[in-house]
Amino acid sequence: MLRFILRRLLLVMPSLLGLLVLTFILIRLVPADPAAALAGENATPAQIAEIRRQYGLDQPVHVQFVRYLGQIARLDFGESAYSRRPIALEISQRLPATLELTICALLFGIAVGIPLGTIAALYHNRWPDTVLRIISVGGVAIAAFWFAIELQMLFSMKLGWLPLRGRLDAGITPPSPITGMLLIDSLLTGRLDVLRNALWHLTLPALTLSLGGIATITRFTRAGVLDTLQKDFVTYERAQGYPAGALIWKFVLRNSIVAAITQIGLLFGSLIAGAVVVETIFDWPGVGFYTVQAILTADTKVMLAVTLLIGVIYAVVNILVDVVHGLVDPRLREQD
Amino acid sequence: MLVLKKFAKDKPAVLGAFIVLIVVVVAIFAPLLAPYPGDAAASHLLLRLKPPSAAHPFGTDNLGRDILSRVILGSRGALAIALLVVGTAMLIGVPLGLIAGYSRGWLSETNMRITDVFLAVPQLILALAIAQLMGPSLQSAMLALTLTYWPFFTRIVYAEARRLSASLFIDALQCIGAGTTRILFLHVLPNCISPVIVRATIGMGFTILVAAVLGFLGMGATPPDPDWGLAISESRQYLPEAWWFSTFPGLAIFLTVLGFNLLGDGLRDIVDPRLRRSR
Amino acid sequence: MSIHKLVRTAAVALCTAFAIAPLVSHAQNAKPGVLVSGDNLPTNIDPHQIFDVPMMLYSLNAYDNLYRYEGNPPKLEPWLAESHTVSTDGLTWEFKLRAGAKFHDGSDITAEDVVYSFRRVLAVGKAPSGAFKPVLKSENVTAPDKSTVRFVLDKAYAPFLSAIPIVAVVNPRLIKAQEKGDDWGQSWLASNAAGSGAYQLDPATYRPLERVDLKRFAGHFKGWGDNPKAPELVQILPTRETSTRVLGLLQGSVDLTDSYLPTDQVERIQKTAGVHIQKDTSMRVFTLRMNNKKAPFDNINARKCFAHAFNYDGFIKEILKGYAERNPAPMPNNLWGYPADVKGYDYDLKKAKEFCDKAKAEGAPIGRPIQIHIQSQLEQTNQAAQLLQSDLAQIGINLKIVSDTWANITTNTAKAETSPDLWVHWVSTYFVDPENWVGQMYDSQFHGTWKASSWYQNAKVDELLRKARTTVAQAERQPLYEEATRLIVADSPDIWVYNTVELRGVTNRVKGFRFSPVGSGGEMRWIQLQ
Repeated sequence: MLRFILRRLLLVMPSLLGLLVLTFILIRLVPADPAAALAGENATPAQIAEIRRQYGLDQPVHVQFVRYLGQIARLDFGESAYSRRPIALEISQRLPATLELTICALLFGIAVGIPLGTIAALYHNRWPDTVLRIISVGGVAIAAFWFAIELQMLFSMKLGWLPLRGRLDAGITPPSPITGMLLIDSLLTGRLDVLRNALWHLTLPALTLSLGGIATITRFTRAGVLDTLQKDFVTYERAQGYPAGALIWKFVLRNSIVAAITQIGLLFGSLIAGAVVVETIFDWPGVGFYTVQAILTADTKVMLAVTLLIGVIYAVVNILVDVVHGLVDPRLREQD
Repeated sequence: MLVLKKFAKDKPAVLGAFIVLIVVVVAIFAPLLAPYPGDAAASHLLLRLKPPSAAHPFGTDNLGRDILSRVILGSRGALAIALLVVGTAMLIGVPLGLIAGYSRGWLSETNMRITDVFLAVPQLILALAIAQLMGPSLQSAMLALTLTYWPFFTRIVYAEARRLSASLFIDALQCIGAGTTRILFLHVLPNCISPVIVRATIGMGFTILVAAVLGFLGMGATPPDPDWGLAISESRQYLPEAWWFSTFPGLAIFLTVLGFNLLGDGLRDIVDPRLRRSR
Repeated sequence: MSIHKLVRTAAVALCTAFAIAPLVSHAQNAKPGVLVSGDNLPTNIDPHQIFDVPMMLYSLNAYDNLYRYEGNPPKLEPWLAESHTVSTDGLTWEFKLRAGAKFHDGSDITAEDVVYSFRRVLAVGKAPSGAFKPVLKSENVTAPDKSTVRFVLDKAYAPFLSAIPIVAVVNPRLIKAQEKGDDWGQSWLASNAAGSGAYQLDPATYRPLERVDLKRFAGHFKGWGDNPKAPELVQILPTRETSTRVLGLLQGSVDLTDSYLPTDQVERIQKTAGVHIQKDTSMRVFTLRMNNKKAPFDNINARKCFAHAFNYDGFIKEILKGYAERNPAPMPNNLWGYPADVKGYDYDLKKAKEFCDKAKAEGAPIGRPIQIHIQSQLEQTNQAAQLLQSDLAQIGINLKIVSDTWANITTNTAKAETSPDLWVHWVSTYFVDPENWVGQMYDSQFHGTWKASSWYQNAKVDELLRKARTTVAQAERQPLYEEATRLIVADSPDIWVYNTVELRGVTNRVKGFRFSPVGSGGEMRWIQLQ
């Protein structure tokens, strides 16, 4: 098993390097750079050139790349051209917000998806199954940004039940960050007011982000449960008069959840990508919002760092999935 | 015949096929069906943001254009981008998958590692970067989507080709001296075409969705294109008063994507009974 | 049976999940003494690195300057300086500092500190240095004594005094301790403060582009005797989407919005009790730039054709609901140097067609698709482009709208070949002098900057503008600018649409809001909070 993991890790390194090269070339091809914007309203071309020199943007691309690789190797992502803060700091301040949002969305997806999938399997090919199928296919067919706007329009603008944006009300000062995730920090410090307010702010973004997850988890749970229900030992237990409800809890769900886990892992990667849109709409101060901002202002180092971060998350999740697969099905290990 | 019968029994899939058919018909005859086909470009300042009425069943937008007409006209762009992206992605991804799956050693390995690199590029970031590079437009959105979508086909074809290349009948073909190209395209390819078709159908829906996101973020379609995502983005300033402005283009996206997904789902059941609705 | 129980349990769990959130109640009452602004923040908070409208909101509060603009129309008022003198050749400027002004850390503001501030601006070389670099060398800023700052310019530069408020005075003792290499403390000051302004930053709460908390500085040199009800704490919490910002205002969680509200939102605010619209004429000209070096816009008839094809009244009356003033020249009509007799161009498709035909006869490729670049984040640039597009379509011209970003446009305007055919933006007030408009937009020495991106060239105009730049007395400069403006308008290098009326949503508990076109009324010390 260890060899298998090591091998996967080794294989991932060239992929990440490739990703870095690809992104670097792509971003360097982009004509826009921060120099002109930084030079401001009254700048002369000479001043713009001077700023470009300060940031090393006048160097040939390969020189810039080698220098950048050297920095990355020391885990130094440089600083944002605009905010002038270390990118690592900015990401570390924003990542908890994104993680909080995606984890909540995932948990919500699991909480809704697993029961729905089980129901669909139990009513296999009867009307609840058909309805749930259309719903679960529909869940991935909804444009998240549109759904978010409709939710905002209804629950925030018309009814005024839920907040439109952000993680907390303006008047509330959060406890100083421990994990950076407000739900956990407020529990640790006993700030129930912050907890309530944060939950209240999380509702709409997490609901929007969980849509695709609910759909996917429902389908996989359904498939897993159906599969298990047809297994011999289940038929046997049923024949023995074992109560169906307990049977589902004890055997069926436990068995099918293992299969669903790999899917949930993959889902996490796509949730992080989905966060870009959801964070933009809800002004959620996370990594996704940060990314869009960096792209709109051509903040190249931030774009590189974020791409790399998402690439690493994606690679790690993939390895984890492979490991779980390997555990479940030892044949895969030998084959690979 | 059996296949058709089986398909007809699958009500959600039939519903999907029906929706797709309608969208295609609407797209083909869009200029004839739209009550105000000129509203693709014209603006009528005096008719700004009128709520739905008999003259404008979906209301009008911030420049006084009929939203129903623009939703109808927008179906063309959505379908065109989906067809082009999925088609090109297949042209790139399928041959690469065949080669990687059939060959062994460094060729296969390099091929799949490159595929992994492209799979790892965050699609939205790539699309946004390309939009910066080429200027935001439908073309740059399509390029970005194609660049990130072909690896899916490579992956699928790779897995199938790998499985097939170990099977007896390929061995037999090699024994009787059939050329590699011949084996690949005449024997391996037809056997892995079904999952490709399923993926392509679902990919159509997926592409429409991501293209709409790009339009929404201002990195895809440009005004005055009657693009659905762009319309939703423009509508945000006029909420909540002009609810119709965002609602109808969004419903159009939803229905179209739902149609493709239901259809793809149904096709998958037919193509691969083993997986019966498991994926 | 038990399966049904399971289903029921699942249903209950689901309903609970959905129900939890709305149960949590909320209260968003405005807090006494706390003013919340929903206006935009600069990308970082070093006033020597960034210079734009959001930065002015921040630096007007956290920093002080030698002179400062107050009121509308804006007047220069002595601030940290008491007075100034200028030599007759316009080269030597001396500023006398007021006594007793202190930085937030309690140290006195001396002439040496002011010298350091100007030298830092020049060394950093970013946005605020633009006005000074061509005429001022670092070593020529000196402090002959503790309360005098002396500038010796390389050549006479009349707008020098108008540009003085651009430079915020910083505390060198704090910055020098944080320098990294020769960065002049840029990395540090980008998220910290070293000023003396009426409000003091709480650096712990600072999040770039998200949040700034400013506490009232009791020791400010102006004192607070004139305003006992000034806000104790000012929070700046921007939102990207205007409709969200306005909703915050309507719900009372935000006291001030930005001042560029679209008219639909204005109507929403006017219909609501407890909030109102602050309406002020500004100095901010909405302009459609044409690339005069690219065909067909190298042809004057083609340019005039476009100038006659824009529906000025329709745009101002229908889209802006009348909240703007037609401004037919590049300078705002409420600034000195604006020629009162200038007519400009009117919306007349017949005339447009005539000019078009003339241009075509002269060989201008008017039939080619022409691109207009808009700023994707700014809806009005889009509306203007779409309006022009639909009118041009009627006379057979194919206008293509390209959605673009500020960073991209400003990079591309460095060369005539890459500058867009047309693009849309506002020219705002950074210093109140015609130099800020016609000077930097149409003197050909500025080619390569986005402000001069119409690539206009007219030797006579160059001469007039350069003469005006080096003449000190305003009375002598005024006719030069009027003459230059007349010539420019006659050449029709751009399409000038309107001078902005700034519209800001304000809650009724905010009194004494003072607007100035420089900084859009961002100075919080005048506000009385009820």
